[in-house]
Amino acid sequence: MYQTIAWYATLFFVFLISLAFSFVFGESKRLKDYAPIQEKGYKIRKYYFLCLVAILGLSAAISLTKLPYHSQTAEAASNLKIVNVTGQQFSWNLSQDTFTVGDSVEFRVTSKDVTHGFGIYDPNMKIIGQVQAMPEYTNTEYVTFKKAGTYKILCLEYCSTGHHLMVKDIIVKPKGGK
Amino acid sequence: MDLKNRASNNKGIAYALMITSVVLVLMMIAGLTMLLNQGKVINISPLLFYKIMTLHGTGMIGIASLGGVAILWYFLSKYIYLNSKIFFANLTFSLIGVVMILIAIFGFNFSDAWTFLYPLPSFSAKLNGKTGALLFLFGLLILGVGYLVVYFYLAARLIKEYGGLGKALGWDQIFRGKKGYGPPSAAVASAMVVIANSVGILAGATAIVESIINIIDPNITFDPLAAKNLTYAFGHIFANCTIYMAVIAVYEVLAEYTGRPWKSNKVFLIAWNFSTLFTLMIYTHHLLMDYAVPEWMLILGQIFSYANGLPVMVVTAYGALMIVHKSNIKWDFASSMFFLSMFGWVAGAVPAIIDATIVVNHVMHNTKWVPGHFHTYMGMGVIAMIFGFMYYFNKTEGTQKQNEFDKYAIFTYFVFFVGLVGSFLYAGKISVPRRWAVHFPEWTGTDQFGALCAVFIIIAAIIFTVRFFKGLSTVGKQSTPKSYKSAS
Ligand code: HEM
Ligand SMILES: [Cu+2]
Repeated sequence: MYQTIAWYATLFFVFLISLAFSFVFGESKRLKDYAPIQEKGYKIRKYYFLCLVAILGLSAAISLTKLPYHSQTAEAASNLKIVNVTGQQFSWNLSQDTFTVGDSVEFRVTSKDVTHGFGIYDPNMKIIGQVQAMPEYTNTEYVTFKKAGTYKILCLEYCSTGHHLMVKDIIVKPKGGK
Repeated sequence: MDLKNRASNNKGIAYALMITSVVLVLMMIAGLTMLLNQGKVINISPLLFYKIMTLHGTGMIGIASLGGVAILWYFLSKYIYLNSKIFFANLTFSLIGVVMILIAIFGFNFSDAWTFLYPLPSFSAKLNGKTGALLFLFGLLILGVGYLVVYFYLAARLIKEYGGLGKALGWDQIFRGKKGYGPPSAAVASAMVVIANSVGILAGATAIVESIINIIDPNITFDPLAAKNLTYAFGHIFANCTIYMAVIAVYEVLAEYTGRPWKSNKVFLIAWNFSTLFTLMIYTHHLLMDYAVPEWMLILGQIFSYANGLPVMVVTAYGALMIVHKSNIKWDFASSMFFLSMFGWVAGAVPAIIDATIVVNHVMHNTKWVPGHFHTYMGMGVIAMIFGFMYYFNKTEGTQKQNEFDKYAIFTYFVFFVGLVGSFLYAGKISVPRRWAVHFPEWTGTDQFGALCAVFIIIAAIIFTVRFFKGLSTVGKQSTPKSYKSAS
């Protein structure tokens, strides 16, 4: 979801910016005194500035309520499965790698050697979350598996020449299935 | 003496620009090679890919900085005396550093990227031997020393001329109610970069020294999270300062072309002070996925990254639009590049700000979205400014004229650069990770499209570079005899 929002928001705002630049380019052949342009420009700028602050402030206020640093759902807290993850050049070691749809998991992620990135991809190969796997530190990542199928762990922090080999499958079985 | 120094400054700037343009084309070809491999059009070993990636990243940031310093030097030396020896000292340090880095990469298989995370180089040193890692790290350190020499010298000069770095940043106008305009924009920007980049380089040097010590004696270890803070404080500040140096050309040249002054009024000065502050603070948006960092720091990282967009969007880019509006400006190579570079900068800020949102970063950090945004503001911002300046330099110091091809080359460069960064950003949207030598089949379409765009960008860049060298040959002929005559 966030990827889609990011993409379309970027397209939208870059489009607006290019409109502004095209407009000024189109008018650039004409010649007018600078003083009145400045006066009007500064006035417009005040509103433009307030507009930007409002957009940024609102986006911050909304987005900061959903931080991934804590378990989001209350039910997740009750039957949380804890899985220990260790990254090392160039593989992932998970204390459990088979789950059932609906499982809420707390991944406790660390590394044996250098920094890696623990990125979880859903069966459509879309990232649903990530956290850094850093030696001497344990970072926790909360995931609720919503779909049956093969999820994948990919390394998302460059860790030397075998970086792209750090792929591991996680199997999520349907509820009550075999 | 003064004119001799000026001629010598110009010579140094010309050398820096020559190196910049040639290295740029070579690094772009390196970039194309990476895309062709990721798109499975060619097949190189992962080791070679990561070596090229290390080369491309280090080389591009290096020349963006070199080109930026050349611009800063050229314009600031119009206002205050700058000794050309310092510029040449930096060139020499850079050259030594670059040679060491090249030997490290191609002689000793160093491939840990330009922003490596401690303790990666020590682990690579265990695999590939210490020589490569040490050569690379010392090479970077020497590059850093070269820039520190420049920045400390500039600090000393600015303090001498304006009475302090704060005064150069217009604190008299902001805080002490002094009427009128502040120092020229070149001085304001220089003060900002001196402050920010000195801090950044010192942070980077600390991280590098930590790695060096750990390689030489593995018993001495450091905290990896603290080292990562230092690494990204450096990487973020150093990469960002390239544009804060290069933009000086935009201020100077658009004002000259439109005949409208671009003075440092109070809003301008406040914006640059905030830029200084924010640039120093917001590197934490590179650590949003390190949950061990105190949460308030990460939240501040998001909020100040948002705020950091304001000075450029509200003051610098808006100012560029205002100064051009109904100005009957002559659109030549320089003015077109500078105008478009402001678009590149602002356009690049949009995906950057979005990625600094913690919930977005959670699913887009270290995807191709990240190179997507910085290629926008570097390729279409900084590099466009540097190309624009190359033409301006030849035209002002020599006799270069616009030709018909230039228009098409500029058009090609920008249209296909939009395509390239579009392919990166789209790849980020579909979760393609960055820094992966080998791509899954469902990702290769974006790489191939990007590679196609890269071909046209490179053609345009080659045209720019050839034109620059041709124009440069007119520089010696026109201005040097003139200055020597009056100097004697
Ligand atoms: C024709 C133009 C260019 C092409 C085709 C190109 C291509 C690439 C590619 C494929 C990557 C690796 C992406 C990945 O992580 O998978 C990359 C990384 C990078 N590029 Fe470019 N690039 C171009 C221009 C530039 C310019 C103009 C700059 C800056 C001035 C630049 C700076 C960088 C940096 C700093 C990296 C990061 C390297 C790393 O991750 O260690 N590139 N580029
Ligand atoms: Cu990795």
